[in-house]
Amino acid sequence: MTPWPPLLALLIVVPLTGAVITPVVGRTRAVRSANWSLGVMLATSVIALVLVVQVARAGPFSYVVGGWLAPYGIELRFDEFGAVIAVICLLGTLAMVFSRRYAARAMAEQRIPYYYALLLLNLTGMIGFAVTGDLFNLFVFMEILSLSGYALVAVSGEKIAEMAAFKYLIMGAISSLVILLAIGILYALTGSLNMADVTERLGGAPAAPLAVAFGALTLGFMVKAAAFPLHIWLPDAHAIAPSPVSAILSGLVVKVGIIGMLRVYQIAYGSGAVDMRTLNHVLMWLGALSIVMGAFFAVFQDDIKMMLAYSTISNIGYIILGLGLASSYGMIGASVHVFNHAIIKATLFLGAGALIFQTGKRTLTDLAGVGHAMPWTVAAISVGAISIVGIPPTAGFVCKWYIALGAVQAGHPFFAFALVFGALFIFIYYIRMVNAFYFRQPRDPAILEVTEAPASMLVPVLILASLCLIMGVMGSVPLSFIEPAVHRLLLPLGGG
Amino acid sequence: MEVVDARAALAPAISLVCAALVFASADNTFWRRFFSIAAALAKLVIVMSMLPGSLRGVVYTFKLVEFTEGVGLAFRADALGMFFSVVSSTLWLITTIYAIGYMEREPNRRRFFGFFALCVSTTVGVAFAENLLTMFLFYESLTICTYPLVIHDETPEAMKAGRKYLIYTLTGGALVLLGSIVTYQLAGTMTLSQPGILPLEAGRTTLTVLFVALIAGFGVKAAIMPLHGWLPSAMVAPTPVSALLHAVAVVKVGAFGILRIIYNIFGVALLRELGICTWLAGLAAFTILAASVVAIFQDNLKRRLAFSTISQLSYIVLGAALLTPLAATAAIVHIANQAFAKITMFFVAGSIQRATGKTTVHELAGIGFRMPYTMAAFTIAALSFIGVPLFAGFVTKWYLSLGALEDGAWWYALVMLASALLNAAYWLPVVYTAFFKTAPTAEVEVHEAHWTMLGPTLVCAVFVIILGATVSVPGMPFALASAAVKFVFGM
Repeated sequence: MTPWPPLLALLIVVPLTGAVITPVVGRTRAVRSANWSLGVMLATSVIALVLVVQVARAGPFSYVVGGWLAPYGIELRFDEFGAVIAVICLLGTLAMVFSRRYAARAMAEQRIPYYYALLLLNLTGMIGFAVTGDLFNLFVFMEILSLSGYALVAVSGEKIAEMAAFKYLIMGAISSLVILLAIGILYALTGSLNMADVTERLGGAPAAPLAVAFGALTLGFMVKAAAFPLHIWLPDAHAIAPSPVSAILSGLVVKVGIIGMLRVYQIAYGSGAVDMRTLNHVLMWLGALSIVMGAFFAVFQDDIKMMLAYSTISNIGYIILGLGLASSYGMIGASVHVFNHAIIKATLFLGAGALIFQTGKRTLTDLAGVGHAMPWTVAAISVGAISIVGIPPTAGFVCKWYIALGAVQAGHPFFAFALVFGALFIFIYYIRMVNAFYFRQPRDPAILEVTEAPASMLVPVLILASLCLIMGVMGSVPLSFIEPAVHRLLLPLGGG
Repeated sequence: MEVVDARAALAPAISLVCAALVFASADNTFWRRFFSIAAALAKLVIVMSMLPGSLRGVVYTFKLVEFTEGVGLAFRADALGMFFSVVSSTLWLITTIYAIGYMEREPNRRRFFGFFALCVSTTVGVAFAENLLTMFLFYESLTICTYPLVIHDETPEAMKAGRKYLIYTLTGGALVLLGSIVTYQLAGTMTLSQPGILPLEAGRTTLTVLFVALIAGFGVKAAIMPLHGWLPSAMVAPTPVSALLHAVAVVKVGAFGILRIIYNIFGVALLRELGICTWLAGLAAFTILAASVVAIFQDNLKRRLAFSTISQLSYIVLGAALLTPLAATAAIVHIANQAFAKITMFFVAGSIQRATGKTTVHELAGIGFRMPYTMAAFTIAALSFIGVPLFAGFVTKWYLSLGALEDGAWWYALVMLASALLNAAYWLPVVYTAFFKTAPTAEVEVHEAHWTMLGPTLVCAVFVIILGATVSVPGMPFALASAAVKFVFGM
């Protein structure tokens, strides 16, 4: 019943083994570990691509590890939401390429193999999280990616890196515990950890523990997703981490909270045992608050990476709002924004990384005029900025349009209003950035002598920037891809 | 008759290609000029090649991409859109030539001409937009593309004006987006190909709120008072930009958007039923008069032009809001009439500034002897604004007054009359100062601006007369306007 080769299992096994071997490969020469991990990511990407094509053709499928059937065995399940692995692999690969020059300068040579190993582990964790069909494995993979994430933040060696990593660790650990508690309750109620089983058996369970479980799951995942006011760990961690890591953390790792929420919804709506209306209401407000507050804090930042970090909070707000609306348009917009925001934010963080790498400066004031010296990088950042604000025809617009449409569809026009005007607020600080790069007099004329970033940095940034445009112009492709999954999800609600 | 034809998409696309080529041409002046003029010509040819068909009633459509059912990027060159794009592509060519002369010694010319081309691309995109989404897309892009032009000088004053411009227009854009979303939810479509798509069943309150949001969204760029604040400050931009912003691209896009909202989204019948257009007409009439009064007290020539623009744009809004066929005709033809007359004046202001360094009205004494052709062109434009017969502005005033009377709203005809007097009060003194006052230093040597600047000025002035004199000649833009009105009113 399972097609050979067992691609779904390989999807996790390949990067996991790759990660473990990386330090060994790079023992004598660090550059080997870079090549090796890039090779691993490329192989993983090929597998991911095949799987995504398969799910687009034939719908969701699953793989039973070792042939043990549920509820005892481990089930890997791949559905349209899991297709987020495509963007995980893409960003992972590009971050590997980008890191080649970056890591060589940013850290001691003997540490480089471990850096790549951690990066691979982190990506493995995310891939596993996206494709597992089992609640306990969900937790395990979440821990893999969180732990490697803490370490990756600390890797940069900046002054407050340990502090930022520690803050991240505390919040991460607490949220993990809360999620574990919820998983425990669900196991106690149903006697199973398999998500499909849990969904089936949840009917008729007592209301109080159910409410605690789903409340705890939501709370935990919202911390992971850094919804306001649970975001306090995010800005420092994302701003201090090495730029390729920031791209991964901001583009992908926070999405773990979102994918987790989608799984929660699948269980809740599928079983019909849980009334999500109150929670959805909370989510809508959390989303709207995150949009506005993220933008508000970002306006006051001078550090470019700090600004980008706060902008992540706003964008996560879009997604949370879309989920909370529980209307098909909102859900589709939110799901696609998981993909699109990853691409956009990676463009921005990698672009900013290239700027910092070339100039050694990281505040807008110091970077004034850099657009004349590094035209390609800054052009890519500008595309990213336009995209994240949601100006058509870029990737950000499609999602904004759908989520706002979803708000009107769900009968909450106020949230459409909050979304659109929140986006306007976001625009203010991106305009500041573009202004500084292009139109302000340089503070230090030396910045005009800086050369364009090396190819290993520039090419990933340009690829991502063109994707920002392509995902906007061809916006219908991801939308129609995710649509069946959303309809299946909302079917128990009467088709949403 | 509808025909699928790639030209509808090619017209906006060609300036996009031009912009890319200009950016790619680095600092090579020859290629930059070549691409700019070649693309302007090519676009004019494309648009003009559709004109005969459009006059016969053919509508060219082209679907570029579709996001989901009915939501996507699509172009549709109907009579109204053709009218607007004929005007803007003609003026693009003329303004490009002028800009080449004007920007001769300015820094950052590559950026300037690149974004200049992008602006026109987006303007024609708005003109040919098949649905509200496509229109919004180009409407927002226009905001972005004009920003580097507004702050071209990079002085603190320019940056401040740029910021103001962005805050106004982006807020407007956000309102348009919200309105589009609600429209889609209520009507299930966003097409601009019908004479009205919203159903009355949606509820009066909802429809009223929606109307206010959409009109305010487009009204920012159309500078309806009190949404006009950005326009006078944006005058710090180089003169060709002011010309383009204030005559063709930005403000006309706003006015055009209002026409589309009134005629193609709500529809005349629904708006009559709702009765909200009387408020809009009142606001427009107020703007016409108030902006003119303010203009009288402006000594800086470009600022006087700015307030005149605000006043003139509301002619279009008023014409549309009256909801009668004759007034609608006036609204549409005024897109062209105001454009050519206003661009003439901007060209004159720029030429004077470049040739003599003078920017205020009281400094202009005797300039008519020094730059006779330039000031003759100015006089033609001034007469057009006052509404003297045979000049373009008269056509608007005539039809607008008739349209008002058709509706029994005679007081708007009085507004027209008062506005004519006010226009005389602030344009004739300029003409008087230029020709009849001698300069303190009595310089009489004729010293015109370079031909690249004088030529476009004169061509525009000639167009003002042509538009005023050839209303009944078949095949002229006026026929397009009539066709658009017939469609909208189902005649």
